Amino acid sequence: MSETQIKLEDLSVDFDGRFRLDDITWAITPGQQWLIAGANGSGKSALAAVLAGEGDHISGTLVGLPGNVALVSYERQAELIAAELRKDDADILDVISEGTPVSEIIAEVCLDDALAQELVATLGLKPLTDRAFRKLSTGETRKVMLIRALTSRPELLVLDEPFDGLDHDSLEWLQGHLAALAETVPMVLVLNRFDECPDFITHIAYVDGGQLLHQVDRSDEQSLAELHQLIHLKTSELDVPAADPAMALPSLNPDEPLVQLSKATVRYTDNTVFENLDWTIDANEHWQVSGPNGSGKTCLLSLITGDHPQCYVNDIRVFGFQRGTGESIWQIKQYIGYVSTALQWEYRVGTSLRNVIISGFYDSIGLYTKSTDTQKAIADDWLHVLGMAGRSDEPFTGLSFGEQRLALIARAMVKHPPLLILDEPCLGLDDMNRQLVLALIERICRSGNTTVLYVNHRLEDAIPGIENHLALG
Amino acid sequence: MQYGGAMTSCCRMWDTVLQISQFTKRVDVGSVAAMANYFNSLSLREQLAELGKCRFMHLDEFTEGVDALMGKKIVVIGCGAQGLNQGLNLRDSGLDVSYALREAAIAEQRQSWKNATENGFTVGTYEELLPTADVVLNLTPDKQHTNVVNTIMPMMKQGATLSYSHGFNIVEEAMAVRDDITVIMVAPKCPGSEVRAEYVRGFGVPTLIAVHEDNDPNGEGLALAKAYAVGTGGHKAGVLMSSFVAEVKSDLMGEQTILCGMLQTGSLLCFDKMIDEGIDPGYASKLIQYGWETVTEALKYGGVTNMMDRLSNPAKIRAFDLAEEMKDIMRPLYQKHQDDIMTGAFSSGMMDDWANDDAKLLGWRADTAETAFEKTEAGDMEISEQEYFDNGILMVAMVKAGVELAFETMTAAGIVADSAYYESLHETPLIANTIARKKLYEMNATISDTAEYGCYLYNHACVPLLADFMTGITSDVIGKGLDLSDAGVDNARLIEVNAAIRSHPVEEIGAVLRGHMADMKRIV
Ligand SMILES: NC(=O)c1ccc[n+]([C@@H]2O[C@H](COP(=O)([O-])OP(=O)(O)OC[C@H]3O[C@@H](n4cnc5c(N)ncnc54)[C@H](OP(=O)(O)O)[C@@H]3O)[C@@H](O)[C@H]2O)c1
Repeated sequence: MSETQIKLEDLSVDFDGRFRLDDITWAITPGQQWLIAGANGSGKSALAAVLAGEGDHISGTLVGLPGNVALVSYERQAELIAAELRKDDADILDVISEGTPVSEIIAEVCLDDALAQELVATLGLKPLTDRAFRKLSTGETRKVMLIRALTSRPELLVLDEPFDGLDHDSLEWLQGHLAALAETVPMVLVLNRFDECPDFITHIAYVDGGQLLHQVDRSDEQSLAELHQLIHLKTSELDVPAADPAMALPSLNPDEPLVQLSKATVRYTDNTVFENLDWTIDANEHWQVSGPNGSGKTCLLSLITGDHPQCYVNDIRVFGFQRGTGESIWQIKQYIGYVSTALQWEYRVGTSLRNVIISGFYDSIGLYTKSTDTQKAIADDWLHVLGMAGRSDEPFTGLSFGEQRLALIARAMVKHPPLLILDEPCLGLDDMNRQLVLALIERICRSGNTTVLYVNHRLEDAIPGIENHLALG
Repeated sequence: MQYGGAMTSCCRMWDTVLQISQFTKRVDVGSVAAMANYFNSLSLREQLAELGKCRFMHLDEFTEGVDALMGKKIVVIGCGAQGLNQGLNLRDSGLDVSYALREAAIAEQRQSWKNATENGFTVGTYEELLPTADVVLNLTPDKQHTNVVNTIMPMMKQGATLSYSHGFNIVEEAMAVRDDITVIMVAPKCPGSEVRAEYVRGFGVPTLIAVHEDNDPNGEGLALAKAYAVGTGGHKAGVLMSSFVAEVKSDLMGEQTILCGMLQTGSLLCFDKMIDEGIDPGYASKLIQYGWETVTEALKYGGVTNMMDRLSNPAKIRAFDLAEEMKDIMRPLYQKHQDDIMTGAFSSGMMDDWANDDAKLLGWRADTAETAFEKTEAGDMEISEQEYFDNGILMVAMVKAGVELAFETMTAAGIVADSAYYESLHETPLIANTIARKKLYEMNATISDTAEYGCYLYNHACVPLLADFMTGITSDVIGKGLDLSDAGVDNARLIEVNAAIRSHPVEEIGAVLRGHMADMKRIV
């Protein structure tokens, strides 16, 4: 096995102006076997291709690449087929070409005939060796690509979705073969389905938006689980689970704003937090609220939720209730889903993950009512969306901080509230968990009837779909 | 198990009751000086009936919610621990709440004024607010009640309602309220901070309600008390329909003995013993400060049985034996407390101290602050949850002895088991939490002056009472834990001990009441 490290430093690569990788810093140390993961369009295939010399380097460095890198990818496959078709064009004046036969295509790069024979037989290509390459089916050309790569004595093997479209027997054989090969050849795999990750993979790179965002050592179980969840949220196309028909909210007047604050003022004996603030939130108008610490963001929200006692001395109309006219706080809270770090600190109740989510139907911390089967099923659906299926009975307090935050967002959303308030939902989370949370919120914003009020003092944590902005302080 | 001692107490109490049952029933309005005792003015039959009043109400009895109070003008007097937190809950339940404070509090912008103002409540003087009030909540310190009620009564409008959160003034001081006024009680069985915290979580705290039979001119007392309990969230956690008498006599007994007295005495004795035994003071301090909270948390979930089950078998048998021994020693003290509460001797003693500028209370408070336990900071070593049990066998034994004795003594005196359970076992973890926050100082600051006075009274009698017993105690039951290498357990003995723990009456009623709670509430 090679003793040189492959090193990418601040590398930016352009692919014909169609796509760009930015500021990639990555090292592949001998002995490591990598998997690149990410959603469609994230740039994971581009990163793999860079290792095979593709793309134009704009800035940064790439050193330590071995001379013989084999790449199997859809792009390479498409190029080879296109080249074959061009040959057809070129020969058009002469006889009608049969195209290059499979055996020749393999022989072009093959350095191990015995292996090639074996592979052709095992992958069921024997009857096809004389057939023109361009006449093969997609699955068959893919197998030919694999044979070319495996028999070329590569010093680095880069396989982009190698398992796609393989029949069961071929798949099993290939997996076994790669596992054996991993002893001697460094590999980088790109896989869409995280659950196909072979055992020999030691490290995982996560790519999003053309950037390498996370590098996880597979032995770090915690990070691995979080990455797993992030990939799940980013890649699966699940819908937000249904609401509980038995707990339908009293309907709101569609012509009235959700929230209307007139000259809102919060004042203590020795200081004024803010004064004369007018603010109207209409349904389906998502808002981001930002401002430095102490500018009163949380205070403003709590006027809306009714948690701030001075909501009774302000002119506040929420969900059709003029505050302080005989309404109860629970009549207000039923329309609001709410998540904050403070809520998470307060949520120290010894109960199950499922019950925490169900408590969102009752706006309570802890569950004090028997839940229905429908509610349990909805909670389990949410856990499925979060990539936490099968964990309903785990104690909430035993979850990681990031998992708790996700569960609390599901708790806030479980009743499909007209208004979802997220008070610095990423606070205290590491990078990976931050992206998990943002991915979930983005989904919620896309999903329809909930108006999102998102508080964050970092403007760069913007969420696609949130267009209105209130700056405090 | 034997309850011989408790029976004796019971008989002794009846003797006293019979001797003094000739009192006149009512005291003239406005008679401030003569502190008559309402309970003593009742006939024995009436006393028994009042003491025996206690019924656990079902959630479906509260379907009318806060309707009976909706639109009524509620004025709270005093904005302290209960006043502020109850008011916040009532307002969040849609009710009209404002605060009447004494002039000095407003003029000097005292804490009570700040509490009310910063929370956006209307604040006014008695004159400004009381004449239009429909319901007046008297949430001033018990000691001030006679004075406060006599001041406000002339300003209250015809047919208004006066509410208390503790019945001391009515029962022990025979406060006679104007005939047209309805008098009710809604007493949360928790410190004010918990009353608010549980409401905000969407729950509530167990609450006792009562109507003063002598003052229910329109028969609407119960409906108002129920609506008030809903407004504070109490109905979700369980409401006991009781009487002023039963509330006072059981509340005083619980707080003086197991809840505060026993924890204070236990803290001081256990700490001094550990120091004598050469245990690191920081460790000793921590084991006690957080130990009460940890071991009584087990009570909350599964009663004495569960707390004892957290010990190893040999430790459980030791704790059982220690508890039995302490119960025999302390039984007369528990009986004396209950007797003095029943006869009114306790309250008249305390009122003497009030008249004497709280000399005793303040002296005891200062003494407590000077004890070695209070002055030794908890160390920063890790103590695992289980270690609190393993190294705190004596503390577990003290909790068991105190809970069972208080319960036995209360029920023997005619207090219904449900009520005795709430005033003993149920509240112990809540008080233990306060010690975990800032030791005895915090506990005594959180509880009422009445409870604090009773607590010191108990402590002063109990420390010397247990002195002899404590000489036989070594660090194996407090501080270090048993050496389990050669500790076998006799099966027959273990079965006997387990049966005794489980068959105690506080465990029977506890299972029923905790079952109610789990059914309708917190699903843990
Ligand atoms: N604490 C508990 O755990 C608990 C539990 C259940 C029931 N209770 C009952 O609730 C009631 C109130 O207890 P608490 O603990 O809330 O008392 P607290 O915290 O001491 O508050 C008492 C309030 O009354 C005011 N006050 C004091 N003396 C007064 C006077 N002479 N005239 C008018 N106002 C006066 C005080 O304000 P200023 O001094 O500023 O005027 C203060 O705001 C008592 O009946 C108590 O037994 C207490």
